[in-house]
Amino acid sequence: MMEKTKLRQADLITSVFLMLFGLWVLSEGFQMPMQDTYGGVKNVWYVSPALFPLIVGFGVVILGAVLLVGSVRAGAAASLAAALRAYRPGLSESNLRFLGILLAIGSFVYFYIPRVDFVLTIALFLSYFIPAFYYDTQRDLRRLSAVYGAVFLSFLVLYWTGVAAFLNSAFEFSTDVIALSAVVGVNIYARRLAGTDPDRLRRFRVGFAVAIATPLLLAPVFRFLLYVRLPHEGGIVQLMQVIRYSLR
Amino acid sequence: MGALHSLGLFFGHVADFATEPVTLLVLFGATIMGILFGATPGLTATLGVALLTTLTYNMSHSMALVALLAIYVGGIYGGSYASILINIPGTAAAAATALDGYPIAVRGEGGRALGLTTTASAIGTMVGMLFVVSLSPLISELALQFTSFEFFLLAFFGIIISGTLTSPDLVYKGWIAGFLGLFLATVGREGLQFYPRFTFGNSNLEGGLEVVPVLIGAFGIPQIIQVLRDKFRPKEAQKLDRIMPEFGTIARNVKHIIRSALIGVGIGAVPGIGEDIAGWVSYGAAKNSSDHPEEFGKGSYTAIVSTETANNACIGGAMIPLLNLGVPGSPPAAMLLGALMLHGIAPGPMLRIDNPGFIEEVTAILLLASVAMWISGMLLAKQVVKVLRIPPAIFMPVIAVLCVIGSYALGTKVFNLYLMVPVGIVAYFLTEMGYPIAPLVIGVILGPMADQNLRRALMVSGGSFLPVITRPVSLILFLVIILTVLSQVPAYKRLVKALRARLFPKKAA
Repeated sequence: MMEKTKLRQADLITSVFLMLFGLWVLSEGFQMPMQDTYGGVKNVWYVSPALFPLIVGFGVVILGAVLLVGSVRAGAAASLAAALRAYRPGLSESNLRFLGILLAIGSFVYFYIPRVDFVLTIALFLSYFIPAFYYDTQRDLRRLSAVYGAVFLSFLVLYWTGVAAFLNSAFEFSTDVIALSAVVGVNIYARRLAGTDPDRLRRFRVGFAVAIATPLLLAPVFRFLLYVRLPHEGGIVQLMQVIRYSLR
Repeated sequence: MGALHSLGLFFGHVADFATEPVTLLVLFGATIMGILFGATPGLTATLGVALLTTLTYNMSHSMALVALLAIYVGGIYGGSYASILINIPGTAAAAATALDGYPIAVRGEGGRALGLTTTASAIGTMVGMLFVVSLSPLISELALQFTSFEFFLLAFFGIIISGTLTSPDLVYKGWIAGFLGLFLATVGREGLQFYPRFTFGNSNLEGGLEVVPVLIGAFGIPQIIQVLRDKFRPKEAQKLDRIMPEFGTIARNVKHIIRSALIGVGIGAVPGIGEDIAGWVSYGAAKNSSDHPEEFGKGSYTAIVSTETANNACIGGAMIPLLNLGVPGSPPAAMLLGALMLHGIAPGPMLRIDNPGFIEEVTAILLLASVAMWISGMLLAKQVVKVLRIPPAIFMPVIAVLCVIGSYALGTKVFNLYLMVPVGIVAYFLTEMGYPIAPLVIGVILGPMADQNLRRALMVSGGSFLPVITRPVSLILFLVIILTVLSQVPAYKRLVKALRARLFPKKAA
């Protein structure tokens, strides 16, 4: 949690957002059927679907206003103005780490999971996420993020330009091959960053083992034990299926 | 006859579970998993229950309950490992344990401390279980008299009281979190007229937000961001000597154990209040009543026995409103409610009628879980301690994968993942700004109950709010809500102070 002065400054900003949000909820609520007929049912105010959103919107506006008054009384306006004047643009280590986390989770959830083989998706995600934070230096985090970001951009271009669809029509597992190359590439880069220092080499080895073992363990458990259809079943998951049925 | 029948059912379930090898395997597996989750700083019992819910989807409801309650019990107990050995609470529930547990470990008596907390936690869980089985019939009988007004007020009471007691900064931030949760609950087609609210024409939102991805997002993602962003590093663990049950020390602290168990059950029964508060309140009560309060904070055995008894007794306490009213007593219980709904079980006053024997089943599992926890704690403590050495940079990314697959697997909808991430990021910022997450989650869960019951109640009364003051339970709940809110208003505080000064001039002076 933040320290007190920063908390009050944050309260000042959030209170405005909360009141705007509450007003939006109220405005949406007022557009819902109140007295008119909906689905053949004549409404009265107390059975209207608007009743609860109106209570919630009203509550949020009131509480936002209370927060605003409290923060202003605590001198948040003056301290926020002073903090804004003293603000120098730049990326602190903590914010860099935050962006690194967002890059990892954002690309994983919103891009890779619906499009790339599930096993390769997890392997790529962990191949970046673990060393980026386990190596524990800002320099490594920046470099690994740059490489992973470049890989992510390449994938975006591949999909947005339709090249991925074209390649997959020619050979079904084209994007899986590309994703596998990305996993290998990110790991080679992570290994290079580790250099010759024994401790860093150990960290690379542990991270690599976890990045590869996790999807190889999770995918069969969910697919074949719990019968959960995976979000995208590409070459590796299909290979697992072939192995499973040939073993039965 | 009723009590004897319940007792028979209880022992029948105990015998059934204890003689089935697969059940025992699940019981011990989930308990150990819970201990590992609890012992690992950054992971919580709630997250453990949330992630395991996915794996129980294909199980029978009995087996799912065994797994979920076992991980819950193990998770709450497991927090004491990190508290005692590295002075960092594995879970918030064990925060008070760290105050005295760590000085004990520094003295070289870590094993003795863990032996005590293991036994105290098992006793706490069992006492909680006794309350579940004894109070449930009374509460569900009372709840059967509830009308829609009572249920609406009960849901609101849960949100307000949870917001009031869990807020780390300003109390009304807890209420704001609760209202945000209520808003999330309004998304989708509402239950009475099926009118789409806040769906933006997106068919994925028509059915409302799924509870499990929201809970995993709210509890899991902030944890991952916090630990990795703040560069959390585990400390070197203190050495662990032989672990013994320490029955002698337990016997000497029996009055503290009884009091702590009662505190734990009482706090657990209040909607939305977790095991952490039970631990702190019990610590304070033990210190106030101790013959040697000066020893507290310097390695008092009474202190760790009290906190660990209370936080595990809280589990049983949290089960009482969950099972009988459908209102979760703690954040892990909220997750458990989501899991029960997935298995087609609707906790509430009708539970005893729709699922006779269910509460006895839950209590039997709690008993077995406490035994499994005690055995695992005594035998595996030295192995569990190794978890404390795993760097967060290794396990947090794996937890992220589990959160993703957990949110996806329940409905096999990628949209759930799209929902989980923003909920998690918002929850992270809210946590950073001093907003508690428990009321938000309680709001999401109790929102539909509050919404539908309010409108149903008004439909019956023809739009009149009069039954709120003419029905005794409604009136009590209404007054508690009003007084809780008023207690935060400065003008009201001044008025109360002035009244006190006038009525009790000596005390005020």
